[in-house]
Amino acid sequence: MSFNSKTNKGRRQVRRKVQDSKQLSITSLLDVLTIILVFLIKNVSMEAVKISELADMIYPTTMSTDKLMDNAMVTPVKLYMDRVVLGVENLTLGTPKDIVENQETRRIMEAFFRTDYDAIPEDKKREACLVVQADAQLPCGYITQIVSVGTSVGYENIYFASLEEADWLRTYSSASSQ
Amino acid sequence: MAGYRRPYRPSEARQQKGQTAPQEPDLVPIMNLFLTIIPFLMMMITVSVSLMALNFASDAGGGAGGSGGGGGNQDKILEIHLMLRQSESLELFPGMEIREPGSTIHKLPWLSENVYDFNSLNDLLARLKEKYSETTEIAVVVHPDVLYDTLIRTIDLCKTNGFVTVHYRSPLATYAY
Repeated sequence: MSFNSKTNKGRRQVRRKVQDSKQLSITSLLDVLTIILVFLIKNVSMEAVKISELADMIYPTTMSTDKLMDNAMVTPVKLYMDRVVLGVENLTLGTPKDIVENQETRRIMEAFFRTDYDAIPEDKKREACLVVQADAQLPCGYITQIVSVGTSVGYENIYFASLEEADWLRTYSSASSQ
Repeated sequence: MAGYRRPYRPSEARQQKGQTAPQEPDLVPIMNLFLTIIPFLMMMITVSVSLMALNFASDAGGGAGGSGGGGGNQDKILEIHLMLRQSESLELFPGMEIREPGSTIHKLPWLSENVYDFNSLNDLLARLKEKYSETTEIAVVVHPDVLYDTLIRTIDLCKTNGFVTVHYRSPLATYAY
């Protein structure tokens, strides 16, 4: 490894004044992370209790609406025309007819409600909410069954999902007169 | 060394100007932002439904399954019976029957199949609210075959007319049609 300093003598060294920046820019990454963080913070407290519209369900319409109570402990129930779905895990229970006619199905439903209700801390039992999302064309007998089992377990607040329509009465009247 | 004069700073800057690379807007961070924002915005475009609350606490309204629920003076509150079947012997007809605490009964037959007379119910509830201005309680007695849509619209009209505490009841007697 011999190095002759004389060979470089008199050779002009060219040095770049503007160096190529090859470092990874973390500014954009920080921008992205900040935005994600803001969205997550905004949504994290409400996401658990947000009841979104189900695409394959026809909702009844209402003028008046109620706000879901603060810190609500929600147990959702979805009643389609052909099936009943329980909880956030979307467990299929059976058909709406089963919850009226089949004792075993009713027992399973009650056990599910009780498990969900018992999981709620004692000091938050009053905030336990049963949110019923049912198809508008479903007979009320099934709704009564759900409400009956829910209240027997201990749920004090039962919410019915609907779509807000400020003037449904006028549209209903005009539709019915045609 | 004495003859060397360091250029002024503005001149120095001017000298470098020609040597810098042409400045192009760097779109990568903006693209990153867009790529992040768009999926989030798309996920957020979910229509959340409204909710209608019934309270079944022992010291409040509500009540279900024929029990009537709730405490208080529930026998002396207004009742709306929602019916679907026709039975003269059982005094049933398709429509609504509004029972005042006394003995007055208002009958609102449906207009056509599954089309209930909500306009008349709305007017009647407004009049009853004037008459029973001190009460906010009302009971909806719904027969099993009545559609859920009818029940919710009825509760909605009760609430908009000032009867905010709605008791949900099923008929005490089970009819065999």
